[in-house]
Amino acid sequence: MKIAVLAKQVPDSETRINLPAPAPEIDDSGFTRVLNPYDAYAVEEAVKIKEAGGEVEITAITIGPETVKETVKKDCLAVGCDKAVIVTDPALDGADEAAVASVLAAVLQKESYDLILCGLKAIDDDSGQVGILVAEKLGLPHVSVVTKLTLGDGSLEAEREIEGGKEIVNASLPALVTCQKGLNEPRLPSLPNIMKAGAKPMETVTCADLGLEPPANLVQVKTYSPPPARGECRLVEADEPAAAAKELARLLNEEAKVI
Amino acid sequence: MPNIAVFIEQRDGAVKKVAWQMLSEARRLADAGGGEVWAIHLAPAAGDVAAKAGAHGADKVFNAMDDAFTTYNSELWGTALANFCREKSPDVLLVGSTALGKDVAPKVAGKLGCACISDAVGLTHDGDWTVRRPVYAGKCFVELTPTGGPFVVGVRPNAFVIEEKAGAGAVEDFAASLDGVEPKATVARVEAGDGGKVELTEAEVVVSGGRGIKGPENYELIEKLAETLGAAAGASRAVVDAGWVDYSHQVGQTGKTVGPNLYIACGISGAIQHLAGMSSSKCIVAINKDANAPIFKIADYGIVGDLFDVVPALTDEVGKLKG
Ligand SMILES: Cc1cc2nc3c(=O)[nH]c(=O)nc-3n(C[C@H](O)[C@H](O)[C@H](O)COP(=O)(O)OP(=O)(O)OC[C@H]3O[C@@H](n4cnc5c(N)ncnc54)[C@H](O)[C@@H]3O)c2cc1C
Ligand SMILES: Nc1ncnc2c1ncn2[C@@H]1O[C@H](COP(=O)(O)O)[C@@H](O)[C@H]1O
Repeated sequence: MKIAVLAKQVPDSETRINLPAPAPEIDDSGFTRVLNPYDAYAVEEAVKIKEAGGEVEITAITIGPETVKETVKKDCLAVGCDKAVIVTDPALDGADEAAVASVLAAVLQKESYDLILCGLKAIDDDSGQVGILVAEKLGLPHVSVVTKLTLGDGSLEAEREIEGGKEIVNASLPALVTCQKGLNEPRLPSLPNIMKAGAKPMETVTCADLGLEPPANLVQVKTYSPPPARGECRLVEADEPAAAAKELARLLNEEAKVI
Repeated sequence: MPNIAVFIEQRDGAVKKVAWQMLSEARRLADAGGGEVWAIHLAPAAGDVAAKAGAHGADKVFNAMDDAFTTYNSELWGTALANFCREKSPDVLLVGSTALGKDVAPKVAGKLGCACISDAVGLTHDGDWTVRRPVYAGKCFVELTPTGGPFVVGVRPNAFVIEEKAGAGAVEDFAASLDGVEPKATVARVEAGDGGKVELTEAEVVVSGGRGIKGPENYELIEKLAETLGAAAGASRAVVDAGWVDYSHQVGQTGKTVGPNLYIACGISGAIQHLAGMSSSKCIVAINKDANAPIFKIADYGIVGDLFDVVPALTDEVGKLKG
């Protein structure tokens, strides 16, 4: 069985964005980059399937600049992926979700994968689109926001999180699954495995290598702007907690008008 | 003249509130810029949805009634909405960012080969469309312009205010043309979880507990206040990772994003990843015994105190106010 994992490098969740005024771009020069946390669930799930036995080969696929190699090596190859395909092409800087999905679909079409795993969303653009768009481009079924995955013979059963509960979804393979927290606990790479991962195949390609014109964006960025400013915090003080609570309730009711 | 279509999502016979929010906003846009507001309703039976959609601003309500629309299926819903866009050519299709909406919106866009923008909180039209949405978990916002149309916009619940007006939309049947469409992935069954009575992402009030609650048995304090307020109960990741509550309660960068009118954080320090999930809340209240906790930097109101005293007292006071 062949599994593909779509892995994106993103600024880590501690990242602060320095944007005093609206601007056409964000200064990302100081960002620390890591594997998208949801993609770590995808990687872990693939590795668990491999460990469960049978002939399984895992390919990590990513689009990003040169610097993604370290992340792919450490967080994909060193934890159990077998090889990686990295699409690095300046023409893809600032590519939108549709463009990224087209390129990923082109890479995926070069092989026949039985299962494609990706994150439910990337924590930079917060879009949650790319996986579903890829599935649609490849004409495959998808299940999104999956917290439990069971593979059968040529099929899968997945639990998907919905409001106040879950849906249990069946699909035939090949299929694409977007991974949510709860699916598994991603392992950390060990130092020896990081060393060994350097020997695993890592192929770097451009759009031209894929026989692809860099796809045009369907969405243009006008501006980035800081979040709306918030006022000072009004501290409610009183001798007794009960009195403070009473005053807070009054303020929320009469002043803020939210209860 | 921009015509705006709004997807009316129904689950178990109840329309999601975000649908009325989107219709109300579409009405305001259409009143300002011309054009019509259309509702597209997929369900097994029409019910009173058309009348309600009219009262929330729809000029036309397209009823696509089909037994296929009983249990959600990405392929069928996606095809129906894509067919609708092809046939009626609205400028934009608005889809609420619910579990169903987040699944179907990219599906529709994929079928149409059109732009899709997720989780929008603002929409303007001045010849071109501009869509505003948070990125980096709300640490900044971006304004985007889609090229061409129709395009699909996911709309965050509670981004827009509901407005009811006297009025009725003209009702038309819409044939979704699903013959020959293969459902691909299918929902075998739906199971209720312990996610609480009010859904976090759609709630107008959220009460969340953090590590300050000290143990799973005390989450009840949070739930009681939430219940008294008719609110959803949330949690920080610390509480979820400790196994005190289910992950479905987690608010934050790797949990749920909420944008309620009121967010009450109890015993939560206000780590950047937590703020990421709730910073767009309209009014934020912090209850924390540490006056230097970062949560106070973003809060509108705060009490520096022990949550074990303050939260039950607040529950009592709210109870009195609510009568
Ligand atoms: C990749 C990544 C993703 C993350 N995603 C999320 C996420 O989605 N959501 C999230 O919440 N976190 C997330 N985190 C974790 C985050 O960094 C913090 O660790 C977490 O939010 C802390 O939770 P807390 O505020 O409950 O706990 P703490 O930081 O331990 O704070 C507890 C607070 O309770 C107060 N307190 C203690 N006792 C009392 C009392 N009796 N009365 C009143 N106050 C009291 C303390 O003063 C303190 O401020 C993420 C971290 C990483 C690295
Ligand atoms: N540049 C990329 N390279 C590889 N995978 C990606 C890329 N962008 C998005 N993905 C995958 O698609 C998922 C959803 O991303 P998004 O739609 O951008 O929120 C991510 O969790 C990844 O699994």
